[in-house]
Amino acid sequence: MSGHERRAHGHAEQGRIDAEGVFIRLGQGAEAFEAVQDVSFTVPAGEFVCVLGPSGCGKSTLLGALAGHIAPAHGALTLDGAAISGPHPDRGIVFQHHTLFPWKNVRDNIAFGPKMRGIPKAERHRQADEILELIGLGGFAGRYPKQLSGGMQQRVEIARVLVNHPRLLLMDEPFGALDALTRMMMQELLLDIWTRLRTTIVFITHDIDEALFLADRVLVMSPRPGRIVEDITVPFERPRRAEIVAEPPFGRLKRHCLDLLRPRPGTDTLPRLSPLGAPPHAR
Amino acid sequence: MPSPRSHLALVLASPLMLLLAWDGATRFSLVEQILLPAPATIGAALWDVLTRGYAGVSVFVHIGTSLWRVLTAFLLAAFVGVSLGLLRGLYPRIDAVCLVPFELIRPIPPLAFIPLFILWFGIGEVSKVLIIFYYAMLVVMLNTQAGVASCPEDKIRAARSLGASPWQVFWRVVFPASLPHVVVGLRVALAAALSILVASELLGGDRGLGFVISDASTFFKTADVFVGIVLIGLIGLIADRALTFTARRIVHWEGKT
Repeated sequence: MSGHERRAHGHAEQGRIDAEGVFIRLGQGAEAFEAVQDVSFTVPAGEFVCVLGPSGCGKSTLLGALAGHIAPAHGALTLDGAAISGPHPDRGIVFQHHTLFPWKNVRDNIAFGPKMRGIPKAERHRQADEILELIGLGGFAGRYPKQLSGGMQQRVEIARVLVNHPRLLLMDEPFGALDALTRMMMQELLLDIWTRLRTTIVFITHDIDEALFLADRVLVMSPRPGRIVEDITVPFERPRRAEIVAEPPFGRLKRHCLDLLRPRPGTDTLPRLSPLGAPPHAR
Repeated sequence: MPSPRSHLALVLASPLMLLLAWDGATRFSLVEQILLPAPATIGAALWDVLTRGYAGVSVFVHIGTSLWRVLTAFLLAAFVGVSLGLLRGLYPRIDAVCLVPFELIRPIPPLAFIPLFILWFGIGEVSKVLIIFYYAMLVVMLNTQAGVASCPEDKIRAARSLGASPWQVFWRVVFPASLPHVVVGLRVALAAALSILVASELLGGDRGLGFVISDASTFFKTADVFVGIVLIGLIGLIADRALTFTARRIVHWEGKT
């Protein structure tokens, strides 16, 4: 057992989320609107939760609030009882498109968090190499992000968050930009990592198959204003094989989700807005 | 696409053909030597200037004087331009303060300011360095600001969630992300600095390559005009190559696939 796993097991009781009557407003002045409306839920430590919803339903905004990048207008959002205020390495976030630093090689990208905490070079490189083994990229420490495939870039992105031993792993459609085969491989890899680390995961997706394959629980959100319309417990036992998506119980649950997501007549698709409010560079 | 070999042949043949046409035109007196000296005449003049100097002053003093002016102005412009560009990119208030004054000055060609600068600062070094400085600075500043804006918002958020403080986000993320734009700004500014240098030296003083060109033209020493032009061109080429070489080592990730 590696040092990383030992440490994660020692903290197995950490990572509980409580959301109580959360409202999030985005935009300013006349354009302001409620992106998330009266959302309440609880995630026990170590659970894998998917938030499923159509584009623009506020699911990314909710994730942004959990990360501490935006503050709710009303309501309480806590991790292990402590209010979430501002970003923290305890709550790592992975986006759809990688945010690796092109001027750093893979090892130094992963060692970014430890470096910010002032951990000496030899030690942070050791930690980075340990995580690289965990995600199966042991031989790529010296490569630069542009030399990697999309799937590998997302693996490094995940590793860069895991090196901080987060209590909560937030993922915003992390595999949305990958091709179908790579995505399936990444889903299995993520489940494998999660089985070993047992950190709480909140995973945003609009892909029903992905949500049902990965999650213990699926929170289904309605289009704007975003509310949770159903809290589904996924009954499939673990470890899950990729084949379960073709079996009847999976199909039944999928049809149920489809019904929930299908737009009601008369509700037009709303224009796409930046999930965190202000468009980039407008600050 | 032509094959690599024929591509190279064409690349080398075209300047040779130009040179031959030029030589032929002067040899058969299609143009007057006083307007366009023969290539060989310019070669001889270059050798003469290199060995015996121009206007009683070693050519290396002329080159040195020009280089000093351009480098002083360029380094000052790089420092001030990068600093201001970063501040404008990071702080909307500073950007708001700078916006109108700089946007008013920017479209004015720097040469239009030369008479004014001579009036204010005389024909000495100050006005020559300042006129190069202000224009090169504007170029560097705008590119740096664009570089800051080019850093994706998600990258900043990711860095914050990895535990970086606002200062660390600037120094470890936003600043390196802006460097490719900064380098482009420096290259454009360097080329502009050299062209403004020559113009500013045309207007006074008795040192520098711009002086060589304007003095030679006054006395119809057309071959020496070409010598000045060739030397300026060589300096520009070497400076740009040196800058690109250095930049490639700093911004090593650009263009990597």
